[in-house]
Amino acid sequence: MIIKANLREAARSLISSRQRSILALLGIVIGIASVIALVSIGTLAQQESMRQFKEMGTDILSIQTANDRGEDKSKGFKLQKILKIPENLSSISIVAPYASSYGELRKDGKRINIPAMGVTESFFQMNRLAMTEGRFISDLDGITPHACLSSNLAARLKAQGIETNPGSELYYNNRKITVIGTIEPVAIGPMRPYEIQEGILLPITALLHMSPQSIISTFMARLSPGFTTALGTEEIKTCFSDLTESMKLRIISPEEMIAQMERQFQMFTLLLGAIGSISLIVGGVGVMNVMLVSVTERKREIGIRRALGARKKDIQWQFLIESVLLSLVGGFVGSFIGVATSWGIARFSGWQFEIVHGALILGVGVSVAIGIFFGYYPARQAAALNPIQALRTD
Amino acid sequence: MTLLKLENIKKSFNLGPLQVNVLRGVSFEVKTGEMLAIMGTSGSGKSTLMNIIGFLDQPDSGRYLLENRETARLSDSELSAIRNKKIGFVFQQFNLLGRLTALENVCIPLVYRGIPEKEQKSMSMEILEKVGMADRAGHKPMELSGGQQQRVAIARALVGSPSILLADEPTGALDTRVGQEIMNLFLELNSTRQITTLIITHDPRIAAQCPGTILMQDGYIADREESQ
Repeated sequence: MIIKANLREAARSLISSRQRSILALLGIVIGIASVIALVSIGTLAQQESMRQFKEMGTDILSIQTANDRGEDKSKGFKLQKILKIPENLSSISIVAPYASSYGELRKDGKRINIPAMGVTESFFQMNRLAMTEGRFISDLDGITPHACLSSNLAARLKAQGIETNPGSELYYNNRKITVIGTIEPVAIGPMRPYEIQEGILLPITALLHMSPQSIISTFMARLSPGFTTALGTEEIKTCFSDLTESMKLRIISPEEMIAQMERQFQMFTLLLGAIGSISLIVGGVGVMNVMLVSVTERKREIGIRRALGARKKDIQWQFLIESVLLSLVGGFVGSFIGVATSWGIARFSGWQFEIVHGALILGVGVSVAIGIFFGYYPARQAAALNPIQALRTD
Repeated sequence: MTLLKLENIKKSFNLGPLQVNVLRGVSFEVKTGEMLAIMGTSGSGKSTLMNIIGFLDQPDSGRYLLENRETARLSDSELSAIRNKKIGFVFQQFNLLGRLTALENVCIPLVYRGIPEKEQKSMSMEILEKVGMADRAGHKPMELSGGQQQRVAIARALVGSPSILLADEPTGALDTRVGQEIMNLFLELNSTRQITTLIITHDPRIAAQCPGTILMQDGYIADREESQ
């Protein structure tokens, strides 16, 4: 009963000093929002990469050339050599080399800057893609500029009223290209290049022809059944042992990827966690400040309540409930903003979105804890007031 | 029947290096149903005496028996419980809580008793009717006149059926006519419901209407008169 009366009282008192309450809440709102966003985004990103590995399998390697310092230009891999790998190495069943470029897509006077990628037919199977419409790039396309659109790009073009069905023509870096199909949306992760989602795909020879400065810097390789990543890595290293000193090979396995991702998440978590905790402390101090002012302003009320039979404990509870309610409101608003932020980021990154319940529980729990921790001292002060002196204050 | 009995109550305060003996040995008895005015100049110790009788303060020495029970060395919770159940305070400045309606103000002592809300409301309405304020139950103190506020405050003091009503200058902030109306309410409550009442006042006209008067001077009781 007393709790219920106290809650109603607390709500009224907070509403009556609305401005002050809102200002005090900002810190908590920002803190909780960043904590929730951080936990949700981390979880969503992890789920997304896991989904990618589920779709693609973990029997793949990504092989990149890396320049040593001092050498500006890498020549990249030779296409012919890569394409012969499955024949030459028993541990590798398929390879998919690709080259990237960046350019301007133009149609009917509308211009969009997009990434483009040159791929071979094997890229489709390697990445376990599917077509929404049309067909994928074939090795028979040669240098003909046939283009596959990614799902997001197709949607963007459609939104601008540009035709995307197979046969439509567009201009990429002032060269006419013909759309042959649109790829279904897939989970993007560290293995799949993001152009699959945002850009256009062209036959690799066509892209190298259209943008001479592009090189084949990466190829993906799928292991033959029964071979381990270590074996595959070893064979590829031997195969490229004739590379010049200036061109280093970097072979990334899914295990390594996952480990690297985890390191990145840790950094991310640490950074946002630090921002979150600082805002939460600032928010907590704000709550304490509001409560101290509230206690000072309501000395007379405290005196009256004490005279009417409130115990020290009752007064302490009244103010503690008020501070918990205050920070809980901040917690709810912050949770909402945090979830909205993670939704926005998930949408922007093309991830599947879901509400991370653990994060919500954490947010609400933390805000209650802040209310109790920073409200305790003011509440103690209120309870410790001498009733006679409290009654005499104006 | 003796309701409260004070024996040689002493109380002093330290004001810096100075020790002020506010009460220097006060003894008196109040019987159930009595109505007494406590008069005295400021500094005579009447407010301190009132605080001690109302359990807002405790004496340095001496005995205070309420309903024949020793009240020394009580904990904060026990003192609060006594204030809640046995004492009804009426203040000069009314001391209603501005955010609450008249009815909710009257409910406060019952809230601290843990009485269910429905019962609080019906008990409070009943007492508001007795002081003639039932039609203003939903109004905030700001919307009431001084006399009306004091009536609500009296209802709040009475709602828990206390043993004693302690009024500190209850008419001090009201004009003579409204003050007299409040005084009439006290007199009526005392005669019809036998509510024991102590009224601190400066006003001889108020004191003259009380059946008994205690005159305080320099921390002593200088005189006690019973008009009957």
